[in-house]
Amino acid sequence: MRSAHKFKVYDFTDPVTSDTDLPPREQVVAEIVQRLEPFRVDARPITGATVITKDLNIDSLAVMDMVMELEDRFDISIPLNDVAEIHTVDELAEAVLRKVGGR
Amino acid sequence: MSWRDAREQAHVFARRLIGGGFSVGDRLLITADTWPGFVTAFFGAQYAGLLPVPVSLPAGLGAREAYIAQLRRQLAASGAVVALATDSLAGYVATAAEGTSVRLVGAMAAFEALPEKAADLRPLGPGERCYLQFSSGSTRFPLGVDIRQDQLMANIDASFSERGIDLRADDRAVSWLPWYHDMGLVGILLAAVCSQRSIDVMSPADFARRPLQWLALAARQRATITYSPSFGYDLAARRAQRQSLEGLDLSSLRAAGIGGDMIQAPVLRRFIDTFAPAGFDARAFLPCYGMAEMCVALSFSTINTGFALDIVDRGQLTDRHVAAPASGTNAREFVVCGKPLPGHSVEIRDDAGKPVGERRVGRIFARGPSMMPGYFGEPEASAAVLKDGWLDTGDLGYWRDGEIVVTGRAKDLIIVNGRNIWPQDIEWAVETITPLRRGDACAFSLQDDDGAERIVVVVQAWPADAAEREALRAAIAQMVKETVGVDGTVQLIRPSVGLPLTSSGKLSRSRARTNWLAGVYKDGGQRPDVVAVEAAARP
Repeated sequence: MRSAHKFKVYDFTDPVTSDTDLPPREQVVAEIVQRLEPFRVDARPITGATVITKDLNIDSLAVMDMVMELEDRFDISIPLNDVAEIHTVDELAEAVLRKVGGR
Repeated sequence: MSWRDAREQAHVFARRLIGGGFSVGDRLLITADTWPGFVTAFFGAQYAGLLPVPVSLPAGLGAREAYIAQLRRQLAASGAVVALATDSLAGYVATAAEGTSVRLVGAMAAFEALPEKAADLRPLGPGERCYLQFSSGSTRFPLGVDIRQDQLMANIDASFSERGIDLRADDRAVSWLPWYHDMGLVGILLAAVCSQRSIDVMSPADFARRPLQWLALAARQRATITYSPSFGYDLAARRAQRQSLEGLDLSSLRAAGIGGDMIQAPVLRRFIDTFAPAGFDARAFLPCYGMAEMCVALSFSTINTGFALDIVDRGQLTDRHVAAPASGTNAREFVVCGKPLPGHSVEIRDDAGKPVGERRVGRIFARGPSMMPGYFGEPEASAAVLKDGWLDTGDLGYWRDGEIVVTGRAKDLIIVNGRNIWPQDIEWAVETITPLRRGDACAFSLQDDDGAERIVVVVQAWPADAAEREALRAAIAQMVKETVGVDGTVQLIRPSVGLPLTSSGKLSRSRARTNWLAGVYKDGGQRPDVVAVEAAARP
């Protein structure tokens, strides 16, 4: 009886198969910039080279929310170690595109 | 995976560790993501006589460098000779292990390549070490709690008793808690193994992204038990404002443990308001209090009674250290954390070390069969908290009808969203900014009325030019964010105002906090004429 008990690790990030075409890079960058717009600190526009946690007034929870929104938007999951390598908008766009491409 | 299969895999892993030439007592670092490999390796180490050392994961955007530096310090503090990582973190751990005592580092595949030696297993037994728990100490100087088998079993047994969760035959737990933290490791994983119950777990990262999956999982699996710090309940309730709860049935939950941070009553009320329509029973809330130095738990409130509030006068609390019942605008509410577990005792002592009576605020000391023998390889740090057989918890609290009410901390530790942050880590990082010097920064936290903490950093530096001041303030705020991953309020003060020091010349964060609350540092601080004259007279 006892051995009937078990543990299960749930993964809520199963890749969703989809046959939509790869979004163009500009579109991904534009989507990221749009989500970051509320966190802009001065008149300088957000570009691919913007360092997300440095040039913007955004805290870690908001960053997490944004990454989550992007994941939902593109049906992907960006692994933690990839997230740890990301500093700029361009790098985030690259990570999204890599995942969308490999899906 | 059934526990039986998990045991088989752990046996195989153990024979590979033995085949790889690792000795009894060697330390095995494991990145404690929520993955089956963690279970295999943690228990495999137990069967091979090695000590597992679970470590946390990189925290967010651009965290690579800080994470590798932290791993390196944890490898050094534990003296690990072998390290297992998830596939995605194997590169980081390998980089961190360069030039250390680590002989084998890699993902599970590297361990599967070890010869499986047909040797007898060498399971760790009673009285021996069990694992090292890094959840204490600063990031810069990590302290690993030396968890022993006997102490661990004593703590788990006590928590199963009717003064704990009153374990039942049909219990089943669901959790998103990280396995590198004592509440997730002991409260969920090890408790499930010891009780032979089923658990359903998800990773903290998945929880942070989709908090309601936690409750959906509990509903689907008819879970009876879960644990979380206040902020987990907060996150779920907030997210629920934007999503439909249709079909969610939480009526099976009989114990929703809360601990790991200051318990915030408004959060619990909001959670009840939000999820009562989904069948959540307010009586399920189970406030707890504990620390890794006691394995995990020290006190539980009474099961199936919900959370109790104590409402006291704010002024008497801060000025006279008395928790006088009160109501009205100057009242402050605390959640009552219950009685010490069976076999454990608690003393609340005044500054002179004398136990105090009912409703007097003092420092919380504890002892009992779950108490750690010390921090691994750190006799000085151990002696600083273990005194005459008692553990100095560093927390402040008072007695109410035999139950403990925790009011804050005597230590300067900051806890934000369940994470322990040492003010030194912030200060040292800030002081690397030009033109600041050692001793220029002071970090502390303020507690909002709902128990949430926010970080304040006071820095003595006052560039004459306002734009320069603002640039420096921004640079410090950025450094705080990069160092600890949360925002802080930064206030520059004139060097003539200065930071408060203790009689022995050490920074007094508690006085800085008092000054801050009194408005002393507003606009850079007061500058009485006499001080200005003194400053001008300096070379």
